[in-house]
Amino acid sequence: MRFEFRALPSASGGALTPRPVVDIALEGLDVAPVACLLDTGALRTRMSAEFAPLAGIELTGGLTEDFFVGGVKTSGELARVTLTVTDGADEFSWDAPVWFCDPWPHPFGLAGLEGFLHHFVVTISAYDGYLEVAPGPGLQGS
Amino acid sequence: MPTMTVLGRQYDLEARRVEAALQGALPEPIHEHFMVINGRRWPPKQVLALVTGLDRADFTTHQARRALTRLGFTAGRAVASRARHPQTSSAAAPPSPRPSGTGHPAMPVTEALRPFIGLWVAVRGDDVLVAAPSPAEVVAWLAKHQQRAQSMFRVVDSEQAITGAAPQ
Repeated sequence: MRFEFRALPSASGGALTPRPVVDIALEGLDVAPVACLLDTGALRTRMSAEFAPLAGIELTGGLTEDFFVGGVKTSGELARVTLTVTDGADEFSWDAPVWFCDPWPHPFGLAGLEGFLHHFVVTISAYDGYLEVAPGPGLQGS
Repeated sequence: MPTMTVLGRQYDLEARRVEAALQGALPEPIHEHFMVINGRRWPPKQVLALVTGLDRADFTTHQARRALTRLGFTAGRAVASRARHPQTSSAAAPPSPRPSGTGHPAMPVTEALRPFIGLWVAVRGDDVLVAAPSPAEVVAWLAKHQQRAQSMFRVVDSEQAITGAAPQ
């Protein structure tokens, strides 16, 4: 599956530097896959806690951790959820640990090692502005 | 002031009044025709119903389109989701984005996002389906209109807002 780098408009005109982004659907929220910044340096996969109730995920009494992202202190709660990526032709789903974070002022989620990168072979071509995602040996498509 | 007559009753229309009537509303899905108002694409019948309070069954898309065009708004037509050709253009109308997944970089799509800086958007291919202040509103809109997005995110306008999420 190929994902073009995502560019956003700049306030001063033109565009911000395009970034590697993968759209990941939470089970229960497949009408709106969450754009996640590919973060090869991150151990966790993190998203806004706002998405959890929208997907019907109850965050009650799970493992929590506090941490800083971009200078903002936030608190994340762990939930195991089924995630899906698709390019419209191929589709892959897997069970993953996701940390739902509050506050989360960032525009994208973060796709890190646990939860995303461990399941895929990811090739980044920043020169051409795209990334390719192929399932790892343990992941079956549908 | 342009007027429109529906079922024998005359309605006075004014561009500013139209723009004001749309504040706080979310555009419904575009099936074919759309108007560009406040930098967003709106179904003509939705706009006229909001402005006049008329039932949508009381007028046609073409009547609505004609009335709104006379007020100076840009009319467009979504020929297909991946090949759209607005009939006219204006500063308020985001240019038709290039289909994603081909070539680089995706600048036209970026320009289509410009009116929505600060908002959460749901996009599918070339189209910005909906933009709203919160993801809950975006998801509610998708559910209400039985739409499925390709991606949901918040449109930010600075490098710092993105790199802030990356490891420091």
